[in-house]
Amino acid sequence: MSIEPIKITINGKEVETEKGAVLIDVCRENDNNIPSFCYYQDLTPQASCRMCLVRIDKMPKLQTSCTIKCTDGMVVTTQSSEIEKAQRAMGEFLLANHPLDCPVCDRGGECELQEVIFDWGDVEERFTEYKNVQPEKYLSPIVANDPQRCILCKRCTRVCDEWMGEDAIEAGNRGVNTVIGTYGGWLNCSQCGNCIEVCPTGTLLDGVYRHETRPWELDQTISTDTYSSDGMQLSIGSRMGEVHRIVARDRYVNGLNGEFLDVKARFAHEFINHPDRIKTPLIRYSKGGKLIPATWDNAIKFAAERLNEYRGSIGVVASPRITNESIFALGRFAQEIGADSQVAVSDRQSMAAFYANMSVPLCSHKDIRHASTIILIGGEPEEEQTYTAKQIRQAVRNGGAKFIVVNETPIRLKTQASQFVHLNQGSYDPFALAFAQPDAVRATADTMGVEASEFEELFDAINATEGDLIVMVGNDLSPAAQAAIAGCAAMLGTESRRVLLHPLPHYNNSAGAIDILPNAASVADVTSASKAFLIAGSLHEPSVLSGADFVAVQELFLTETTEYADIVFPAASFAEVDGTFTNNAGNVQRVRKSIEPIHQSKPDWMITALLARELGHDLGFEFSASGVFRALAEFVPQYEGLRYPDMKDESRPAVIKHQIAVQPDISAAIAALEDSVSGMALGRGKNDVMPPIGHKLHRITTMTGKTAQFHLLANGNPKPDNLLVGPLDQFNLDGSRKETAETTEAAVVGVGDRAHIGVNN
Amino acid sequence: MAAATPTSYTDQIEYTNEMAEFSPEVVEEMRSHVAKYPPERSRSALIPLLFVIQRERGWIDNPGVNYLAKFLNIEVTDVWETATFYSMFNLKPVGRHHIQICKTLSCKIMGEPEITGHICSKLGIKPGETTADGKYTVSLVECLGSCGTAPMMQIGFDFHEDLTIEKVDGMLDELA
Amino acid sequence: MEIKAIGCEPLQLKRVLIENGHTLEVYRETGGYKSLETAFGMSADAIIQEVKDSALRGRGGAGFPTGMKWSFVPRDSPKEKYIVCNADESEPGSFKDRYLLEGDPHALIEGMLIAGFALGAATGYIYYRGEYNYLIDIMDEALREAREAGLLGENILGSGFSMEIHTHTGAGAYICGEETALLSSLEGFRGHPRMKPPFPAVEGLYASPTVVNNVETLTSVPQIIEMGGITWRDLGTEKSGGTKLWSISGHVKKPGVYELPMGYADMEKFIMEDCGGMLRDDKKLKAVIPGGSSVYIMNAGQIVGKGVTLDYEGLVEAGSMLGTGGMIVMDETVDIMESTKNLTEFYKHESCGWCTPCREGTDWLVKIFDRISAGGGRPEDAQLLLDICDNIEGKSFCPLGDAAAWPIQSAVKRFPEDFRHWLITKTNGDLN
Ligand SMILES: Cc1cc2nc3c(=O)[nH]c(=O)nc-3n(C[C@H](O)[C@H](O)[C@H](O)COP(=O)(O)O)c2cc1C
Ligand code: SF4
Ligand code: FES
Repeated sequence: MSIEPIKITINGKEVETEKGAVLIDVCRENDNNIPSFCYYQDLTPQASCRMCLVRIDKMPKLQTSCTIKCTDGMVVTTQSSEIEKAQRAMGEFLLANHPLDCPVCDRGGECELQEVIFDWGDVEERFTEYKNVQPEKYLSPIVANDPQRCILCKRCTRVCDEWMGEDAIEAGNRGVNTVIGTYGGWLNCSQCGNCIEVCPTGTLLDGVYRHETRPWELDQTISTDTYSSDGMQLSIGSRMGEVHRIVARDRYVNGLNGEFLDVKARFAHEFINHPDRIKTPLIRYSKGGKLIPATWDNAIKFAAERLNEYRGSIGVVASPRITNESIFALGRFAQEIGADSQVAVSDRQSMAAFYANMSVPLCSHKDIRHASTIILIGGEPEEEQTYTAKQIRQAVRNGGAKFIVVNETPIRLKTQASQFVHLNQGSYDPFALAFAQPDAVRATADTMGVEASEFEELFDAINATEGDLIVMVGNDLSPAAQAAIAGCAAMLGTESRRVLLHPLPHYNNSAGAIDILPNAASVADVTSASKAFLIAGSLHEPSVLSGADFVAVQELFLTETTEYADIVFPAASFAEVDGTFTNNAGNVQRVRKSIEPIHQSKPDWMITALLARELGHDLGFEFSASGVFRALAEFVPQYEGLRYPDMKDESRPAVIKHQIAVQPDISAAIAALEDSVSGMALGRGKNDVMPPIGHKLHRITTMTGKTAQFHLLANGNPKPDNLLVGPLDQFNLDGSRKETAETTEAAVVGVGDRAHIGVNN
Repeated sequence: MAAATPTSYTDQIEYTNEMAEFSPEVVEEMRSHVAKYPPERSRSALIPLLFVIQRERGWIDNPGVNYLAKFLNIEVTDVWETATFYSMFNLKPVGRHHIQICKTLSCKIMGEPEITGHICSKLGIKPGETTADGKYTVSLVECLGSCGTAPMMQIGFDFHEDLTIEKVDGMLDELA
Repeated sequence: MEIKAIGCEPLQLKRVLIENGHTLEVYRETGGYKSLETAFGMSADAIIQEVKDSALRGRGGAGFPTGMKWSFVPRDSPKEKYIVCNADESEPGSFKDRYLLEGDPHALIEGMLIAGFALGAATGYIYYRGEYNYLIDIMDEALREAREAGLLGENILGSGFSMEIHTHTGAGAYICGEETALLSSLEGFRGHPRMKPPFPAVEGLYASPTVVNNVETLTSVPQIIEMGGITWRDLGTEKSGGTKLWSISGHVKKPGVYELPMGYADMEKFIMEDCGGMLRDDKKLKAVIPGGSSVYIMNAGQIVGKGVTLDYEGLVEAGSMLGTGGMIVMDETVDIMESTKNLTEFYKHESCGWCTPCREGTDWLVKIFDRISAGGGRPEDAQLLLDICDNIEGKSFCPLGDAAAWPIQSAVKRFPEDFRHWLITKTNGDLN
C-alpha cells in the first residue's frame, strides 16, 4: 500500500496528511476538536449521529467529516456559526428523548454525550414535550440495559459484528422507536462486554459493577490482562483495597488493544477480593495433617529448614501466569541452590521449540489487522487469544484479507476463512511435515485426512500473496511441529511478500517464561528427579507429587496442588503486584499494583527471595519489583537495557527482539516428525463438532457468582459451587437443562444456546 | 415486550426453542423464494418468507422465527431486526380480519375519520385493538398508494376503495 | 377514478386503457416486444445514447436523467450487474405506478430487458411495496408468459442474451422507496439507506453495479427505443422529455391518473377543467401539493392565473417541485395546520431511525403538532417549527429528512392564517 502525501486546509491552516485519510481523524490530529458519536476508528462508518458536520468548499450542504476521505487541496472549515448551530441542533435532538438522569447514571462522568453538551455549556432547553420512556432491563447477567439513554450510534452492534463476529445485538423497530436489543431480550453470545465498553452513554452498562461506585471515586490503574497471551491493556478500577471493575482504556491513547477486552479480562476479577483467598502462610506439620496458619517468619524458617535437607534434590516449578519478575526469581533461586536443571514451567504445552527456531520475526497485532493472508495452524484464538481473533476477523471483514484455517476441530473462526483444512485428529505432525517439505504431501495427505488438492490450494494462496503473510501457530502443536513451521517460514517470503510469525501460547506469560527459562525441563522430568519442591501456582496433574517428601506452594487459593503441600504461602494476584508480562508479540508490558496485597499475601518473587535469603542466598533485588526487573534485563539477552520507565507508554510498547535464524537447522525436528508420522495409523477420524463459543470458559471463569476463581492454573481450582446459566438455556445444578422458566441468580457466562456442554468443570 | 423494570435478565419475554412445522407445499414455496437470489444471498428471501410465516401462523411468532432462522441459516436476532422494521409484520397476534384504514392526507380529507369512527363504533373497539372474539383488528395505517380512490382501506391484502358508510356496512356484513 | 391521456396520444396508458392489456397477446398485438428486438440490433452505447437523447428524467421523484445514470455503470466490471425496478410507490398522493403494474406489466418487463441488455445485467428484481402484494400475481403471470414465449430466460429471442426477472416484496416502509434503502431491504435487512458514494450504479445490490429505476421510467424505455430518443423527447420539452403520468387526488370531481405531455399548460386548467374542477362547487381551491407529499405546498395564489406549466422547470419556478407527480388538491374546508400535522405524522412513522435529526426531529415535530391541535399552541411555536425544520433540512442522512421539513416550512410561510388561528387566536380564546 503506497501512501500518497497530500495537503489540506483546515480552518485556514494548511496541514499534511495522506490521501484517503478520514477527515475527522486528520482534524483531530491537528487539534481541531469535532464532536462525534457514531464514528469509531476502524469500524464501518455509518454517519448517523450527524454530529461531526463540517463545511467543505465546493460541496453543497454540510458534510459529515467521519465519511469524508481527504483529497489534495481540500479546504475545510470546522468552526463557524453555521456549523455550531447544526451541531448544537444535533445535541438538542439527542437530548430530546434522553432522560436527564446523569446523577443516577453509572456512566455519569464518563459519558460522551454529557461531555459534548457540557463542553458547549449554555444549552437552552426548548424541548418541553413529554419524553418517550422505556423500561430498564438486563440483557444478560452482566449486561444491563437502559434503552432510553440510547443515542443509536450503533457502536455496540458494529463491534459485535465486526470485532466479535457474533451478530448478537442488533437494532429493532423503526424510527423513534428504534431500540438496541436481541430477539427474546437475551444476549446470546460470549459476553465479551465490548458493547458496554464502546457505548458512549449509560445505555449498556456493566451489570456486575452497576451502582457500586461512581467512576471518579475509583483509582484507575493501567495494567495488563492476566488471562490471555495477547497482553491486552486494561484499567483496573479499585477503591479502598477492593477491585470494582476492569475496563479497557480510551481508544485514542491506549495500548495495543484499543477498547477491546474479552469476557475474562473484563469480568473475571471476582477472584481478587474473594473471601476464599489464602490469608496467611499455612503449614502442614505432619503428612496427612491439616494446614495450620503460621506467621511469615515461622513459615519461611520452616520451609528453609526443610528445603535445606534436600539440597541437590530440589525441583522448582514456575507458573506461566505470574510476572516475569516472579519467574526470574524462581530461576535465580534454582541457580543459587544448584538446581539449574531442575526448573520447569507448568505450561499446558510449551512453545519453547517455536521460539528457538524462528526464521522470521513475530508480527504485531496491528500487522494482523493489515495482513494480506493469514494462516492459522492449530490453536483456538477465539477462545484463548481473543484479541488476535478480533484482529483476524477485522482483517477479513474490513480489510479483505485471505484467511486459511488448519485445524483438527471445526473452530468457529473457520466461518471467516476462505479455506478450511480439516485435519484428522492428532494430525498436526504430518501437516507440519508437509508444510515444511511440500514434497512430503503425497506421503502425509492420507494420514492427515486431506486431499493433495487442498494443499495445492493453500500454497496457491500463499504464492498469490502480496504484502504480509502471517503464519500463526497454536500451542497444541508438538514441539517438533512448532519448530518445523517456525523454521521454514522464511522460505515462503519474496520481495513483495513479508512473512511474519505469530505464536499462540496458552497463558498470559507463557512467552515471558520461555524468554527467561528457555531451557526449562518438563514438569514430569523435574518431579521424577526431585524429592522436595518449590512450586509457584498449581500443577496440571498434582498427583505427580504424591511421592514427594516436601512441597512448598505459592498460591492464591487452596487447590488440588496444595493438598500435597507441606507449606503454602499466600501469593498476591496480578492486581496487587508490580511487574511485567510478555505477550505473544514480544511486547513487555507493565503490570501495576492497583491494591495492596490482600491479607498477608506477598508477590511471588518476594516469597521466593525471602526463602532464598533464609537459605543463605541473596538474590540481590533490593526487594523491589523494578530491582528484580533490572537484574532480569541484565540476565536475559532479549530484555537487555529495558527499564520500567521505558514501559510507561502502552501505546508504544517495549518490544523485545527474539533471535532469528534465517535458516535454522530444523533437520532434527523434521526427523522427529517423520518418525512420528511413520508410526501413525490411517483414518483416525475427524471431529465434526464446532465447539460453542466460550466452550472452555466454564472451566476458568465464573462471573457473577460468588465462586472461587483460580489463581495460577486452570486445574485444581475450587469447583464452582453454583451453576452455569447460558443466556438462552438454563441448567440445573447437575448440568441438565431446566425445563421451567424459573430464575436463577448465579450465572456463568459464555454459554449460549450454541453451547451444549455440561456444567461440571 | 419486557415487563416493567425487571430486576433480572430473566424477566424478559418468554422465549422457547420450539420450532414451527410446515407442510411440504409451504416448504416448497419457501424454497421457490430462496431460489430467486444468488445462493450465498439467501437472506434476501427474508421478507417474502416472513409473509409466508405470517400467513401460515397468523403472526410472526416465536416458533416461526426459529424456523426461519434455521431455514436461512441466520440468527434469530437477525430475523428480529428485520421483522420489527416493517409495519406490515404483526409482532403480536391480530384478529382474523385485519382492517387497515389509510389515514394519510388524501384519505383524511376525503372522509377517513367518518369511516374509522363508523367501523370502530360498530365493532366496539379503538384503532389498534382487536375484538374480544379475536375476529377483527382495526389499524390506522399510512398511505396505501390508492389516493385517487380515497377513502380506502385494506383487509388482509385486498384493497377496498371509494369507501362510503354503506359500502363499509356491506363489507362488514360479508365478513361476519 | 379517471384514467386518461390529455394533450397527447396515450403512450404510458396505451394498454392500461385497453381490455386485457396486461396479457402478452394484447401487448404483442399493440407492438410490444418490438423495441426489444430493435435493441438487440443496437450496441449498448447506442441504446444509452437514445435514452440520453430522450431527456427522460427519473419518474421516481428525484428526476435524475436516466441515460446519465445508466452511463455510470461500469459495464466492463467483472461483477454481476443488476436492474432493479422501484415499485415501492409509497409517496402520499402518488398511485400511478400501480396502474402500470396492473395494466401493462409487459412494458415493464420489456423496459427491464432493454436496460439489462444495454448494461450487461443478467438479473432483474422488481421491488413491490408490501401493500401492493396483490399486484405481484399479475406480474408473476406476465413473467411466466414471457418466459414461455422465449422472451425471458436463456438466450432471449435467439439473441444470445439471457436475463431473469424476479418479483420481490417489501413489507410496509416508505423509506424503502429510497433506492439504497430499497437495496438493503432487498438483501433482507432493515430498510436503512446507505452511504453515497458509492452510488448503486457502482456498488449496489450485493455490492455489484446496479441500476435502480422507477416503474414509469422503465416502461418509457421501450417507447423511446421504438420512436427514437429525440422524437420521444419532443413530445415534451427540451429539458423534460416525453409524457408523464400524474396522480391526482383530493377535492376534485375526477381524481385519477392522467397522462400529460411534459410542459402541459397550465396547472390551473388541468385542475379546474381536465379534472372536473372542485369536488364541491361552492368550495374554493385552497392549496395544492403538486408532486407527492414531499414537496412544497402551494397556495391558490401561486396557481390561479399564474400559467404554471407542468414540468420539472415550471413547478420549480412556481415554488414547488414535480416530484412524483402526485397532486393533492385541497379546498377551503381543509385546515393546513391539520394537513401538515397529518403529513408530519407520516414522516415520523416512516423515518427509518438511522440518523438523529430525522428520527428525533420528526418525533418532536409531531409532539408539537399534537400539543397545538389539543389547544396548547404558543405564538413562538411557528418559529420553533421552522427552526427544527431548518435543523433537519440538509443535515439528515437521506432526503427523507428534507422531505419532512419542506411541507412544514412551506405551510407555515404560505398559510400563516391557519397557523395564526391555532397559535394565537384559538389559544387566546381558549385560555382566556
Ligand atoms: C424517501 C424517499 C422515498 C422514495 N420513494 C420512491 C418510490 O416510492 N418510488 C420510486 O420510484 N422512487 C422513490 N424514491 C426515489 C428513489 O430514491 C430513486 O431516486 C428512484 O427510484 C430512481 O429511479 P428513477 O431515476 O427512475 O426515478 C424515493 C426517494 C426518497 C428519498
Ligand atoms: S433522514 Fe435519516 S432517519 Fe430519516 S429516513 Fe433518512 S436515514 Fe432514516
Ligand atoms: S460521527 Fe459523523 S455522523 Fe456520527
